[in-house]
Amino acid sequence: MPKIELSQISKGILKNVSLSVEDREIIALVGPNGSGKTTLLNVIAGLVKYQGSVYFDRKNMDEVPAHRRGVGYLLQELALFPHLTVRENIEYGLKVQGYGKAVIESRVRELIGAFNIDGLSEKYPKDLSGGEKQRVAIARALAPFQKILLLDEPTSSLDPQTSKYLRIELKNILKRMGVTTIFVTHDLLGAEEFADRIAILLEGSIEQVSTPEELFFNPKTERISEFVGTPNVLSCDECRVLSPGLVEVRSKSMKIVLPYEGSPIKRMAISPHDIYVSNTNPPGPMLNRFRARIRDIIPLRSLVRVRLEAHGNIFLAELPSDTFREMNLYPGQEVYMIIKFRKIRLAE
Amino acid sequence: MKFTHLTITFTVLVFLVYASLIISLFYFFDARHFLQALLSKRTLFAVKLSIFAATLATFLSLFLAIPAAYALSRYRFFCSTFIDTVLELPMIISPVALGALLLIFLNTPVGLSLQTKGVQIAFTVSGVVLAQFVSTLGVATRLLKAAMDEIPTIYEDAAKTLGASPLKAFITVTLPLSKRGIMSAAILTWAKALGEFGATVTVAGSMAMKTETLPIAIFMRLASADIEGAAVLVLILISAGLGILYGARALTKRAMYM
Repeated sequence: MPKIELSQISKGILKNVSLSVEDREIIALVGPNGSGKTTLLNVIAGLVKYQGSVYFDRKNMDEVPAHRRGVGYLLQELALFPHLTVRENIEYGLKVQGYGKAVIESRVRELIGAFNIDGLSEKYPKDLSGGEKQRVAIARALAPFQKILLLDEPTSSLDPQTSKYLRIELKNILKRMGVTTIFVTHDLLGAEEFADRIAILLEGSIEQVSTPEELFFNPKTERISEFVGTPNVLSCDECRVLSPGLVEVRSKSMKIVLPYEGSPIKRMAISPHDIYVSNTNPPGPMLNRFRARIRDIIPLRSLVRVRLEAHGNIFLAELPSDTFREMNLYPGQEVYMIIKFRKIRLAE
Repeated sequence: MKFTHLTITFTVLVFLVYASLIISLFYFFDARHFLQALLSKRTLFAVKLSIFAATLATFLSLFLAIPAAYALSRYRFFCSTFIDTVLELPMIISPVALGALLLIFLNTPVGLSLQTKGVQIAFTVSGVVLAQFVSTLGVATRLLKAAMDEIPTIYEDAAKTLGASPLKAFITVTLPLSKRGIMSAAILTWAKALGEFGATVTVAGSMAMKTETLPIAIFMRLASADIEGAAVLVLILISAGLGILYGARALTKRAMYM
């Protein structure tokens, strides 16, 4: 089965990168722009020369050319062949690999059904919307029965709603087809929803590979903590179910309401950029709104971190520098603090 | 005068230079003489030979130029920049000099043995084709390279990850995507071959009813002071050339996929 192992890969910015991806696992490769994510996918696909070794199911692939590696690759630009229709694009891989007419017919039908692109078969890529193009490109990448799939920012060009919907749909399809997937993104939230594990790639080195929860609650290095957003971690002292799907959690004397899926809650994590600070009481629902006092102010490059104390808990909030300047905040000041309801992460 | 108007005026002036030259042909235009000259055996021979030689030279040029242009567009290899520069040779040296180069080569031991063992080149139709081929090969390669530069390599990468070998990716993706560029390059190469004179006359000579292409026929008519006859041939050449160039431009402008 296609377990992927990368050993000491060096190429461009990549420095001795090693990574192991289990069979049928979905792993997200997360990092800022220019950290080497796409280069690493190109190495795995065999599109560039590199130092180090790539193994698929313990078989060394270093001398195997791209067209014999059996890796489906969704390039960031999608690269749908503009001179072929949607159907012809999906058929392409099967045809060049010499599959028979009956196999091609049934595989294309299966993928067109799975990705819900029935009405598009005879259209050309220029006539498709962004979301449709993404679906067709993924269907094409999977068509020749690829057991490894590389996705380079597959939902980057879509609006958040479509992006989320496609991620959920794609995850189900990949799990059903048993495809080992490496998924590149710079969107940590998207990675959390999609992947079994997350690998953080910073300046060409993999700094941590762990489950989304572990990564958020236990970042291994200061750099990861900075990238992830140094979360505010609160203990859960008491839980009270308010209604189906809604729970009130007490941490010290603070009561926070959050969505509830039924699992026991031990800790909560809130990213500093998910805390809204205001020096006046803003309009809107009173949910998760607290009075807080500014303990200190830490100016960074493009943003300012504000340490707040509320109901016996210490929070870090992040504000863009220009917003901070407009608000004229100072240590000791009393402010309002709002925790974004849907942005609270939980640990069991 | 606004800058825009000034530049447009210059454009019109440039056009007028050529337009006045073309219009001047009609000063010597005589319908009866025109038909007579057009349907004469010599003119028809020159037209047929020109079309045949230009078409063959274009096919030969494209046969070599397509893979060469692909390599120059996609890979950096030893001497690739130097080779790219040499391709401009037919554009920077006089066509007569290019013809002279060919004649000199044909008189070297290699050239002589090629001629004795193979096809006779000097002063034959083969010579006409060879002269046109040499004159157009560099231009064809350059035009095709420009066409292939416009096709992003990501399409070939995608094809490879779908299981296509580099050759299959070239045939099934790069060639169809550069179809417009290839057709346009073929037409321009053909038009250049059709109008080629210097190298052709140097290698193949100006032998009536033997190596007499349209440009050579024009030269021979002028040499014998037959201005009306020359005007007819010039009109034919201009009509064919402009028609072809207009077609090429329309072809490259029309968006097919994007």
